[in-house]
Order: sequence, then C-alpha cells, then structure tokens
Amino acid sequence: MDEKKERSLSRIREELAMYEPVVELLKLEPGEMGHLQLPIVENIVEQHKGTIECVEEGKTFLASQFTNPVEILTAMDVHWYFHIQQLFAASGSGGGLHTDEDLEGADKLNIPRDCCTLIRLGHYLQVAGLYPIPTAYLSITEPCDSIAGWHAAFMHHPDWRNIPVFAPDPPYHTDERAIDYYARQMREMVDFITEHTGQTLDMDRLRETVEETNKGYALWMEYNEIRRSSPTPHSYTLPLSCFFQINTLGAGDPKKTLWYKDIVADAERRVKENKPEFPNQKIRVFWYDIQPFYFGEIVSWLEQEWGGVIAMDMVSYCPYELIDTSTEDSMFQGLAKRAFQHGPMVHQGRGLAENVIYDITRIVKDYKIDCVIFPGHMGHKDMAASSSIMRETCRELGVPFLYIGLDVADHRYTTADEIKDRISQFFTAMGLG
Amino acid sequence: METKLKSKALDEFIQVASTIANPEIQKWKDNGGKIMGYFCSAMPSELITAAGMLPFRLRATGSTGTELSDSYFSSINCTFPRHAFNMALKGDFDFIDGLVIFNSCDHIRRVYDHWIRQLDTPFVKILSLPKKSGAQQVEWFRSELAILRENMETQFGVKITDDKLKEAIKIHNESRRLLRELYELRKSDNPPITGAQTMAVTVASTAMPPERYNQLLKELLDDVKRAEGNTDYRARLMILGGELDNPEFLKVIEDLGALVVTDSVCFGSRLLWKDVDESIDDPLTALAQYQVNERPSCARMFTEYEKRAEYVHSMLSDFKADGAIFARLTFCEVWGFEQYSMINDFKEWDIPLLCIDHEYTLSGVGQLRTRVQAFLETMGK
Repeated sequence: MDEKKERSLSRIREELAMYEPVVELLKLEPGEMGHLQLPIVENIVEQHKGTIECVEEGKTFLASQFTNPVEILTAMDVHWYFHIQQLFAASGSGGGLHTDEDLEGADKLNIPRDCCTLIRLGHYLQVAGLYPIPTAYLSITEPCDSIAGWHAAFMHHPDWRNIPVFAPDPPYHTDERAIDYYARQMREMVDFITEHTGQTLDMDRLRETVEETNKGYALWMEYNEIRRSSPTPHSYTLPLSCFFQINTLGAGDPKKTLWYKDIVADAERRVKENKPEFPNQKIRVFWYDIQPFYFGEIVSWLEQEWGGVIAMDMVSYCPYELIDTSTEDSMFQGLAKRAFQHGPMVHQGRGLAENVIYDITRIVKDYKIDCVIFPGHMGHKDMAASSSIMRETCRELGVPFLYIGLDVADHRYTTADEIKDRISQFFTAMGLG
Repeated sequence: METKLKSKALDEFIQVASTIANPEIQKWKDNGGKIMGYFCSAMPSELITAAGMLPFRLRATGSTGTELSDSYFSSINCTFPRHAFNMALKGDFDFIDGLVIFNSCDHIRRVYDHWIRQLDTPFVKILSLPKKSGAQQVEWFRSELAILRENMETQFGVKITDDKLKEAIKIHNESRRLLRELYELRKSDNPPITGAQTMAVTVASTAMPPERYNQLLKELLDDVKRAEGNTDYRARLMILGGELDNPEFLKVIEDLGALVVTDSVCFGSRLLWKDVDESIDDPLTALAQYQVNERPSCARMFTEYEKRAEYVHSMLSDFKADGAIFARLTFCEVWGFEQYSMINDFKEWDIPLLCIDHEYTLSGVGQLRTRVQAFLETMGK
C-alpha cells in the first residue's frame, strides 16, 4: 500500500488500537452499563475495520455525510465511512492526542478564523491526507453556509478533484413540493451509487432496512418519552449515542434495534426503581446546540457542582416521525424528509425560525425544563441570528435562557472554565440549584 | 486617483448610489408607483418591472450604527444585515411596498425571520434559491418564481403576463448590454472610468427605474467614450468578493494610485456579464435558467467553483489586471472558503492577491490604506 493510503488510515488505526481493548474490557467487566456501551464501541470498531479492508484491498467504498440516508447505503450493500465522524473521534480533535496539533494545522490554512472551526478542522484533515479517499463521495451542503462553502473548497483539492461526488441541494421550504424535490435527488443518489460502485438497489431490501430503522426510531422516541421523567434516567452519553447508533454502519440490523430495546428497558428500570445514572438532580437543562468536544468535562462539572442534568439536547431530539414504507414513493419521501428536515442542526439551522420556536416550546413543556442553554457555537451564525427569537420564546414560556458563545471544537475560544463561570453566574442569578 | 471624466449622468448615478431614498424613488412614489425591495442578485428584477413596480435592492448605505438591530442579531453576524435591518427598524425602508428575501446566506435569511416579526411591510416572501446548478434546480426555481408571480398578482392587483415579462427582460437585458459596453472600455490601456465610478453606475442599476437608467447610461457611455483615459495609475486591479456596494471602498484603493479595472462582486460584473435568453418561450424558465445556470455564480453555488475560477482568470487576463483584492465581509463563511481556494489558485496563476476582511461600513480606512499600499509595493508598483 502506498504512503498516501497508509497515512489516510493512520488515525483510524490509532482509534482502533484504542477501542479494541475497550471492547475486550467491556466484555470481561461489563458493569452496570456495559451491555449498552459495548455495541457502540463495537460499531466503531466494525466500521473502521471495514474501511481499512476497503483501502488495503482496493475495494469499492464511499465517504458519506450524516444527512444522507444510511438505509439506502445499507440496502445497496456498500461500505461507507462518515467523513465528519473523523473529526469527532478518529482525529483525536475531540480532546485526544491530536487536538492541539489539528487546531494549529487548521489555523495555518488560509481560511479566515471566523469561519466554523469544525469545518476548518475538517478541511485540515483533508489537507493533511487523513481521509481515506473513497471510490465516490456523497456530500452534504446543509445546514449552514460553512458546509456549502467547504464543499466547493473540498472538491477543489487535487486528491479529491476527480473523485465522483453527489451533493444534494436542500430546499429551504418544508412542504410537499420541497419533499418531492429532495426525494427525486435521493433517487438520483441511488443512480449515482450504482454508476460508481456497480451496486443496485433492491426495493424490498430497502423496505426491510427502513422498517428495521423505523423500529429503532420508534424505540428512540419511546426512550425520549421516558427521559421526560424526573430524575432523568441517564447522563448525556447514552442519549447522544442514539443518533450515532441508528445512523452508522449496520443501520437496519436487528442488533441495532436490540440496543434501543435495551436502552429503553434500562431507562424504565431506573425510573421505576428511582435509580438514575446520575443522582441528586436539581436543575433540568435543555442544551440547544451540538455538544462541544470537551462536553464530558462540562457535564461532569454541571452534575457534580450544581446537580444539573441535560434533560434534552439538540442531537437527541431529532426523531420527529417514522417513515411510511407502503410504497416506493412514500419511502423516498420519508427518507428525504428525514435527511433535509429532521437531522440535528439541520432541523434548527436550515429552515425558518419557526423550527427553533417549535423545539424550545415542545421541549420546555414536555421535559419540565428549568432553563435553556444555547451554547452558540461560533460556526452557527444562523442560530446566533435567531438567538433573540429563542430568548423571546423562553420569556413567553417563563424559563430562563443563557447564550454562552463558544467553539465546539476549539477550547481556546471560550475555555471550559469560562463556560462554567457563565453557567454558575446564570444559575445563581436565576435562583436555580 | 484624480478622475478626468465629467458627466452629468455619472453625477446622477453617484447620487443614487450614495443614498437610499434617492430622488428617482421619491419621484416614483409621488406618481403613485409601488416599490418592491429585495436582497440578493438572484432576484429577477424583471418580475418586478413586469408588475409595474420599481425593483429596489436593499443596501445599508449611510448607516452609522446597529443600535436597534443588535437586539436581533449577534456579534458574530455579518455587519451587512445588521446595518440593513437597523435601517429598516428606523424606518429608512418604509417606502417599499413589499420585500423578497432568499435563503442567500445564514445571515440574510434570518433577516426574513426578524422582518416578519418586527415590521409591518404588507408583503414579505422568502424564496428557496438552489445552491447548485442543473435542470432540476432550474425547474425548482421556476416554480418558486411562479408562486411569487401569483402572490404578487394577488397582493398588488396586477397581472404579470408572459408578454409583460418578455418586455421587462428586454429592458433589463438592455441595461446589461450597455453596462458590458462600459466594462469593455475599461479593458483599454487608459480606461476612461475608474472602478469607484463604475460601481456607482452598477449600484444605481438596482435603485432606479430601468428605462430611465438605460437612458442615463447611454448618455454616460457617450461621455465616457469622449473622455480622456486614466494614465497615471500604478497598477490595474480586479476586486473579488460578495456583497460590496460602496464605491468609496474602491475610491480608497484608487486614491493610492491603483486603478480598479474589473470585478467579480455581487453589485458588479456578475449582474451583467450574461443576458437572460430571450429566445426561450417561457419567460419564467428563461429567468430561472439565467439565475441558476447561466450568470456568473456567487460562492454559495457550491458546485460551480471551477467555473467561477475560470471566470476570474479570464477577467484578469481580458482586463490586463496586475493583481486582485479579495474583499470579504467578516463572518461570511461561503466567501471565506472561496477566498481559501482563490488564494491557492492565484498562487498557481502567479498573480498577486490581497485578502481584506472588512465591515460593511467603511470603518477601517486607515488599515485598508496601509494594506493596499503595502500590496502595491510588494507588486513593485
């Protein structure tokens, strides 16, 4: 294998070396939560092994993004890796060995520093040769300007310029016409995959896959219902894993559905026995953005110092509805709707401010929320511009609202200590905790 | 740079570009005319003209603060919508009878959300503009325009027939053709019109009745053709970027001895480089085709970078530019990534490029001067 290919796998191999022992450990000593954690780690391991095998053996594989329907990829039996996932884990940017190295590398690129750091980091990984180069690439161009701008720059890179790419165009509206427009593009995506991988789509297989992920989504919705209870059954890791589990390799696999059954059962038990994963909960927080790479540090502090629990967050609240599998059209429409309207960030960032009002109102009421924290990632300019609407909505609901202003990828922008101070001052001023 | 061009038409264009409610607007309103405001080059002004209304592209010319809009936008939002919305809240755009906004960028699309909540403009619509080119995208945008046409007809009690649209396309194509003629004159070794003056002319095209504009533009062309060319410049420059509507920005550059000979900005050549195809039978399809597929695209059209780079490269060559200045509004992400790619391409082309991040209002003149001066020196000019 040539040097370039080897380098493109280096972070994946690193992560594999980190997670394989964790799998063994969880098998040996599962503890109370091991049965829920093990499938998540196993999934990462399986995904990475598949990617390594494809690169090493010259097999066909795709790079994709979190908005593209995994059901289609699964049903077409083609291996893929999530491009952006590289950022959160394999690169180490998320608080690992490579954090500072990657941030410095991103800073050295001639991309203005007021552009989203997540995306600048993503681009750095490309420039540094850390993405396995796929047979074809299924891109993403929503929810924000940064993503669209990045796509143009990304596909201009000499190593990627000739890689076949499919990038759907998300409409701004949400009506039937918009859904049909996007659904047609999903069909185009299928043709694109067939053209570049030789794999075809069997509609019965797609239906089976969607029906299975529907079961997962239904259980996820049930789990979210259980999270309404106070105290909330779990800390932040498992709820955040719900999105990952259904949207990665093995989507539509009954093993995945079983994981959701297990998490629902665990949550139910904890509620019945009044044994939450994190006890002494006092403040129920709605965290309205994606989580920073250093979220673990913030949440541990929040729980221990203030008894604050993330009762709901943006990433966990995205199963809005199930997909009608009765006809081919209804399946594509459902997949389209989920892809361009329901994903985390996509739901909030892409469309009108009504989505923001809907989310906050629904969640504050349903989850007995004591306060809404809008972390305000510096890349989410559209959300920053709707923060006054968030504040107004919270005012009408009678719930305190905090806008922090941070960088989910770069802990230097607003340090964890500064964030903690802001939250403490807010809680104190609002008489919470 | 001391301008040698004397023209009454130019003076009028400068006046229109340097104010919001210019005398042409006043005259239009006094005659009972209606005005449709819009943000973004993607608005087919032809649709507004065909409705018998005056198309007016919103700017924030003359804005001095964001004291009112700061309650709605944050400090990481682009200063253009912040200033524009501030002016709207102060009533500076009260003369418009309607407003069309696109999902142009993350900042502007939020203007829609705030506008409908804070202001009582009777007709405010947001249109979904594709971010890529292609037949499906043209079809989508055509249907957006068809819905807009229907809504305008209902709201304003007018009939926007295909014939009226075709007539409007002719009028606006005439503006484009005349403007291209003006740009052609800038290719010469001694261009008779400066970059700042040209920008005043292009900005004025978005703020006055198109027939009157064409008449004045013809007068200007006569004056320009007769004028003595500029000879005493240090370097010929091209300006690149997105929203830039302030001729004073270019004047600062030109006062240092550079001459801006061409551009690829939202209020510049991208508005006029191509015509709407008059041979297409369905005028709405022609307009959608023009906006989505034909005219030089802006950076939000993510599939079109290679074409944009080619456009810039041929502009540089055709106008014999010695270098370029990339002007980006701070916090603009699409142009931020475009800037990155352009930096790499300019290196490959071996053409000097200066990147300037700036605020909408001309607040950092000293810094701009220093950087341009240094740039000209590094170019050996």
